[in-house]
This record gives sequence, C-alpha cells and structure tokens, in this order.
Amino acid sequence: MSTISARRSSVGRRPIGRGRAPSRNSLTHPPRTGALLVTPAIAFVAVFVLAPLLFALYISFTNWPLIGPYRFIGLQNYATLFQDPTFVHAIGYTLLYTAIVTVPILVLGYFLAVLVRARRRGSTVLRTVFFLPYVVGLTTLSFMLVLEAQPTSGAVNMVLRWLHVTDGTTAWLVNGPLATVLICVLVVWAVSGLTMVLLMSAMQGVPDEVYESAQLEGASWWQTERMITFPMIRPTVALSVIISVIGSLLAFNQFYILTQGGPGTETTTIVNAIYNRGFVNLQLGAATAESIALVVVIAAVTLFQFWALREKD
Amino acid sequence: MSTTTTRAAAPGPDLSTRTLTTTPGGRRRHHQGSVQHPRDTAVKRTLYAIAGIGSALVFGVPLIWSILRAFQSEAVITSAPDPATFFRLGWENFAAVFGSSSHLLTGLLNSVIVSVCTAVLTAVLATMAGYGFARFRFRGSGLVFGLVLLTMMVPFQAILTPLYLEMNAMGLTNSLLGLVLFYTTVNLPFGVFVMRNAFESIPPDLEDSAFVDGASRFRVVVSVLRPLLLPGAATAALYAFLASWTEFLGALTFLTKDSLYTLPVALLNLQTGAYGQVSYGNLVAGSVVAMIPCIALYVGLQRFYVAGLSSGALKG
Repeated sequence: MSTISARRSSVGRRPIGRGRAPSRNSLTHPPRTGALLVTPAIAFVAVFVLAPLLFALYISFTNWPLIGPYRFIGLQNYATLFQDPTFVHAIGYTLLYTAIVTVPILVLGYFLAVLVRARRRGSTVLRTVFFLPYVVGLTTLSFMLVLEAQPTSGAVNMVLRWLHVTDGTTAWLVNGPLATVLICVLVVWAVSGLTMVLLMSAMQGVPDEVYESAQLEGASWWQTERMITFPMIRPTVALSVIISVIGSLLAFNQFYILTQGGPGTETTTIVNAIYNRGFVNLQLGAATAESIALVVVIAAVTLFQFWALREKD
Repeated sequence: MSTTTTRAAAPGPDLSTRTLTTTPGGRRRHHQGSVQHPRDTAVKRTLYAIAGIGSALVFGVPLIWSILRAFQSEAVITSAPDPATFFRLGWENFAAVFGSSSHLLTGLLNSVIVSVCTAVLTAVLATMAGYGFARFRFRGSGLVFGLVLLTMMVPFQAILTPLYLEMNAMGLTNSLLGLVLFYTTVNLPFGVFVMRNAFESIPPDLEDSAFVDGASRFRVVVSVLRPLLLPGAATAALYAFLASWTEFLGALTFLTKDSLYTLPVALLNLQTGAYGQVSYGNLVAGSVVAMIPCIALYVGLQRFYVAGLSSGALKG
C-alpha cells in the first residue's frame, strides 16, 4: 500500500511557487472559512468510514447477532477464526485465484502496452478497444457470461468445439474447477486493459535518448526491452501488480453472479464468506472478525509485494 | 486572462502534457518521451498488424456478440448457436426490459437516480473540500487531508458489517438516499484529491483580483474559476457515476426491497429466478442497457477518464 500512497503524494505534491496557501491571518482566506468548506467531506468520511472502522473492532469482540442483545466474548471470534472450515477454504481459494490471475494479467497487459505504446496507424483505436471490457466492468460482463456458459446454447462450448478442444456440452458453472477456469479467463480478459494503460503511460515516459544510445550500441529489441524498458517502468509494474492483487483478494461480484460461491462453498471467496456469515447466518461479530483478518491480510500482502518489487539500486 | 490560464485547466497540476498524450484513443499533443518507431521494417509492420487485429478481435468480438444476443429471441438464445437463426434480430427483449411491469426498468431508474445524485454530490463536496484544502490554512489541515487520503486505502468490503449496522440504526438501509451517501463517501477521497490539485493549479492572483473587484466568494468560484475547475469536477463526477452504476456488493447488502433495487441487483434476481421464469433474453438485454452509459461516457469523456487514471484513481 505504501507505493500507492507514495505515488499519490508525489502526484499531489504542491507545485512550487504556485497556489501556495495564504497565511493563517489572511483576509481573503480566513481559516474558519477553510475549515467550514472541508467539514461536509470530513463528516462523510468520519461517519461512513472511520466510525465503522472503530465500530468493527468493537463488534469483533462480541457475539453480535443481527437482531437481539449481544455480549462480550473477548477474543473468541479471533480464536475460532481458523477453525471455521468455510472461511479457511475461502482464504485458500481466494489465494489460489489470485495466484492464477495475477501473472496472466501482467503479461497480457504488458503485451498490449507494447503493442499500442507507439504512435502507429490504428494504435489509438486499439487502445480504446482493449480498455473497453474494463470500462464495462466485471459485474455486467458476468451477467453476459451466464448465457454463454450454458451447456448447449453458450458460446464458450461453441468456440471450444470450433477449436476441436472438446465436442461436449460442458456445464461450466456447476463444476468448481471449471467455473474457476472460466472466471479466471473472464477476469484476465476484462482487467488487463487497466494494466495496459498504466504500463503504456510509464513506457511513454522513458526518454527517447535512452533508446537512441541503445540503438547505437546495437542492442536487439529484446535486450532493449529487458535491460532498459522494464527496469525503467519497474515502479509502475509494481503498482499495477498491487492493484490487481488487491482486486483479486477482494473479489466477489463475478463469483457471486456466476456460481453463487458454489457448488457447495467450492468457489466462495473471502468477501463472499464474510457476506454469508454476516448476512445469511446473521453472525455479525464473527463476520466482522473475519473482515478485520481480511484487512490485515491485504496490508501484509501489499507490504510484502512492495518489498519484493522494490526498486533495486 | 483566461486565455493564458486555460492550459492549467487539466485536472491536477501534475498531469503533465505527457500524461495526457497517453489518452487511449484521444487527441495527441506534443510528445516528448514517445516510443516512436519511424523506421519500422516490413516484418515489424506485419507483426504489428497481425497482433493488433488479432487482439482487437479477442477484445471486441465478445462484446459485439453479447450485443447481438440482446436482439435475439429467447428461442434462439437458449438453443445451440446456429448461423441460420443467429442474425434474426428484433427488439422484443428491450421491449420487455422497458415494459411497464418490468423489474429491470425499476432497477434502471433506481440506478440512474443513485448514480446521478452520487456524481453531483461527490463533485460539489469535493469542490468545496478541494478549495478548503488548497487555498486555506487552518489548524490540522494537513493531518485532516492525510486522513481523507488514508480512507482511500480502506476497502469498503472490509467494513461492510459495521457499516450495515450503523446505516440500519440511522434508517439508511433500504433507502436510495442511504446508498447515495455511502457511494459518495467511497468516491469522495479521490474527488477531494483531484479538486485540491485543480485549485492549486490556478494562480492565486486570479482569485485575488476578483476579490479586489468586489466579487463574493461564491461568485468567484462559480463565475471566475469555473472554467478552470470543470475538468477536475468532471473527472470526480465521472468516476463517482461509473463506480455507483455497477456497484454490486453494497447495493446487495443495503437494499432488500424489490422496488429499491439498482440494476445490478435486479439483474441478479432475474438470473436466479427470483422474478419467476428466468429469461436470458431479458438478462442480456438488461446487461447491454447497463453497458451503454459506461461505453458512452468513456468514449465521450475519455480525456477526463484517463486524467483520473493517471492521478491514481484506482484501488483494488
């Protein structure tokens, strides 16, 4: 997470010599007016983010049901966290899903970025087309895939028959591993456009002179890509990987729409498990403890990735 | 004066021209660090053409396919794809979606209300806060701004249960207003960030001279600074709109009344058979309807979209 914040703060850095905030006793910009202007936004954030966050800690030490009284049970929700097979399975499954999609998203996104980064005929059209699935969003795309995953009438089996991969009428959504494969393909296809845009901007930021001198030295295309482009855009690669990993760890929509987490709880992701526990089983205390575990996992993964992908001197 | 400052109108001072030139499909400006290949060999050009056309088919055809699906009859959609019937297209699915007793129509209207209100509210609050953070110095302003940015890092999925309890206690569950307030909060930190940058990119003299001329603060912002602030406000509003338009988990959790469902939740109920017989024709037509604003806004407002992207709009 720290890369994101580092990047954000560098983007938000105050331009030198412009737009400096007036002093505390400014007549045109009295401090009180400033405080009043930011109050509504602060109130929203305080009520709908900070308060629930603190409340979450409190609830997680109780056996809070949706209706009726609650009592403190100390650390019991946390102690039993990993004794719940559904939640443990959801963690394993979500990590597996994340492990499957992360590299293909990066590789496909990188490939697309290489394809469209230069100013060639049609490159602007290609950028738009590659980014369209991301713009439409996984929720809508998942509803569309429901149709195409049907055994006899869907396009998925049609294409596979056409490619001579299978001639059967595979029922994709009622089989855990098959549904996972299908959802992974959908996600890689849908979100690699985002990685493309991020990497493309970074690639275009590499100064021409670097490439000119590489050319003079007689470097091949692959050498140039490996020795110059990739090292220079490494921070953006790290950022795009972190964005995609966080997205995968929080995955819910595509699974809930396509499989409802089934068959059984085979394709239930962490967020889906928390949702079920809280709003289907009505155990809000335990669900909140699971949420806090999720926040910790995400923070840990982000820190680890930041460390693993850190810029080398 | 406005002619000299219009160039600063890009949302955020640090979105240099270089970043803006990377607009996918957008107009290109002066380019300093391009990866140009003026002397492509014939082999390279051919490879580019093959890879480009191939990838465009992979990314474009599924969307076009789904759009065609929406125009097919239920009988065609539910039987094996057959070239003889595939292009028998009609409007009956859309007629059903927009029919008087349609759950999807209710969902669509709710989605429009929620998304538009969220976009407007986010833009207004973000403009106010952006002005406050950029132009005023008050006790703790740095700390508070950091706090707002920090909330960008909290995935709302992780605070769903306490948020539900809190909103329930405030009477904001099963309420479109509640959903608007929630979506606004989710989108505010990014909006505040963009608007603070927008204000900081405006020379203070512009504001001061308007004050000297006796204009009120409201008038200064609305009349004098408006053209310089619009791109930033448009970016904030665009992201808020698109995020609320396809938001699923929050709507699923906070709404349990049929008449209040947004389009994604209505589509889910249609798909799971909660509205009776599952109609795949209606499902795909509803999805295409959900897709239209996303594509239209993206293609039409690409400049703002990419400006947001390059200022770190995205989390998970």
